Amino acid sequence: MGADFDKPQGFCVKSGRVQRARGSKLFWLSAAEGRQKSFRMMEKMSEENSEDVRVLEAQIEHLQAEVAALQRQQQDNHKDITFHLRGHMQDAMSYVCGQKQAGEKEKVLSKLTEELEEDLKLQTQMNGISLNSCTTKTLQSSGRQLVQQFCVSGHCSELVFQVEFLLSEVKKGQRSERTIRDLNVVMDTSDLQNFSSFLSGVEESTDLLLFFRTLRTFSDRCDDRRRTFQHFQEKYPSVVSLPGGCRSAVMTLNHPELSGCVLFVHWSVEVSREGRVTPKIELLTKIPEKALQLFPSQAVSGAAEAFQSLLRILGPEAAVESVIMAVSLSQDT
Amino acid sequence: MAGASTKGVLSHLSLLEVQARSRKTPPQQPSRVKELKAKAEALMTQRDQLKAEIETHKSLQKLRASMDKQCTHEEEEEEEMAIDSENSQLLRLMARHTQLKDLLHAHDIIGGYNVIKTRKGKGLCVSLTTAYNGVYLENYNLEMDLKPTLRISRDNIPPFIPLKSLAEQSNMQTDIRTLLDPLSQHLNAFAARKQQLKLVKELHKSVQVMESNALCSLLVLMFTVPREKTAVLCSLEYTDHTRCLPTRVHFECEDKGLPDSPEWKKNSSLLMETPVHKALITMKKMGDIV
Repeated sequence: MGADFDKPQGFCVKSGRVQRARGSKLFWLSAAEGRQKSFRMMEKMSEENSEDVRVLEAQIEHLQAEVAALQRQQQDNHKDITFHLRGHMQDAMSYVCGQKQAGEKEKVLSKLTEELEEDLKLQTQMNGISLNSCTTKTLQSSGRQLVQQFCVSGHCSELVFQVEFLLSEVKKGQRSERTIRDLNVVMDTSDLQNFSSFLSGVEESTDLLLFFRTLRTFSDRCDDRRRTFQHFQEKYPSVVSLPGGCRSAVMTLNHPELSGCVLFVHWSVEVSREGRVTPKIELLTKIPEKALQLFPSQAVSGAAEAFQSLLRILGPEAAVESVIMAVSLSQDT
Repeated sequence: MAGASTKGVLSHLSLLEVQARSRKTPPQQPSRVKELKAKAEALMTQRDQLKAEIETHKSLQKLRASMDKQCTHEEEEEEEMAIDSENSQLLRLMARHTQLKDLLHAHDIIGGYNVIKTRKGKGLCVSLTTAYNGVYLENYNLEMDLKPTLRISRDNIPPFIPLKSLAEQSNMQTDIRTLLDPLSQHLNAFAARKQQLKLVKELHKSVQVMESNALCSLLVLMFTVPREKTAVLCSLEYTDHTRCLPTRVHFECEDKGLPDSPEWKKNSSLLMETPVHKALITMKKMGDIV
């Protein structure tokens, strides 16, 4: 045939110049031309494909690096226990990020949150302590040990506090040991002189629970005093006055017609360094010398000691009331 | 005739051409591109998902911080943080959820009673936490019936703690804390004395524990005085069970004059005012005991 199998270039399609021959040769030439065109197209496609593949592979490598960095960031986020979400909270997160279907997510979370609100009300009532904020920071989170820094603020009746401490939990077998370190207590102790010695002691011994037990007891005793003072001021307004307000330690008793003679009921609530809360009630008298000279009876000068005996026999409220009755020169017994 | 054979030649040629090309470069099938495109898209979705989660996490943190500020500064009118999201309601709910969980956790840590209502409101479960000097110790539990009246149905309080009499003396029907607070005081004092005894045994091997009781209300220790090597028997009585300091300290020694010496009178006060394991450290430092 004379055709050279290995060198089809003889057809010269590359330059696009085709010698159009006549007759059957024309047919053969265009068929060959067609085939060459497919060759070229497939070659181009292969070139495009390998170009695409290279581009895609580079893109994928870049994306994998991005995803790895984001996953590391997410792992760091999960170390923050406050926001390490599980269960319904995780579902809610997925929903917000557009992953899951709307459904009942908000309703379920709303119901769960409501239950937590109820629980918080219950704990607040039962514990006698109102917390308004608790923030935590995870300082260390290895397999066996967790160290968190807490900042808790709230109030116990009228007493406002803020405590900061480190809580460390170490897993020892089945149980985990919890320890408090670095306790710092902030309270407005301007009118709590007898509390500050206790506070410094409790910070030293990092006895967080003792602080709260004592705070609550101290608050209860102060509330007892306030209730009693307020009750008597309402019942005997002409005789009883509270110069320092109802939360102060002093109640004055004074008959309006005997302006110079005043009796003071001094009711202090003392807190020992150990955390023991002791109410102490004393009766103090301010009676002018002239009056004492006119009435040198034991009843007037020995009032303070007499009151202590009354206290022992009748208890605080009844003892105070009998003194009030005496001052008001009332005929009732 | 020549056409037919030339046709055969041409098709043979194209076949050879393709074979030659396929030997030079690997087969670039379009499906490989599709495969890679799919992989890239999956990675893009994953990346976008992660980005969204991290952004939401940031929003939650900011929202929670603003809510915490609002709660601590009740007088100041803190502006509610504006959230740039169509999910603002849900995000607020999520932030509040984390806040509540933290507050409840705080109630537990500060020694709260962890009250749980049980049996559809007919019962109550109370937990009493004990701790000493920052170390959390035993937990004790009470199960109570609410109807017809509040009463204790089950407990794991040790028998030497006067639970029954505390309940009788309390006003628990109107205020359950009049039972729980004294009970917690007793339990914590007991836990403290027990812990002090444990620390004496651990830290002061030279001091012998001669006697102790279950309630840890009595402790008899044997000291050795350096130089003379005399033995001093020290009795600590803790008659007030709500305290973890002794109410009476007594020394017994062959040397009858020792308890009245100024050093040992000081030690007597020290033991009355300082927890025993700490007092012993001071006494060792002063050279009074070995």
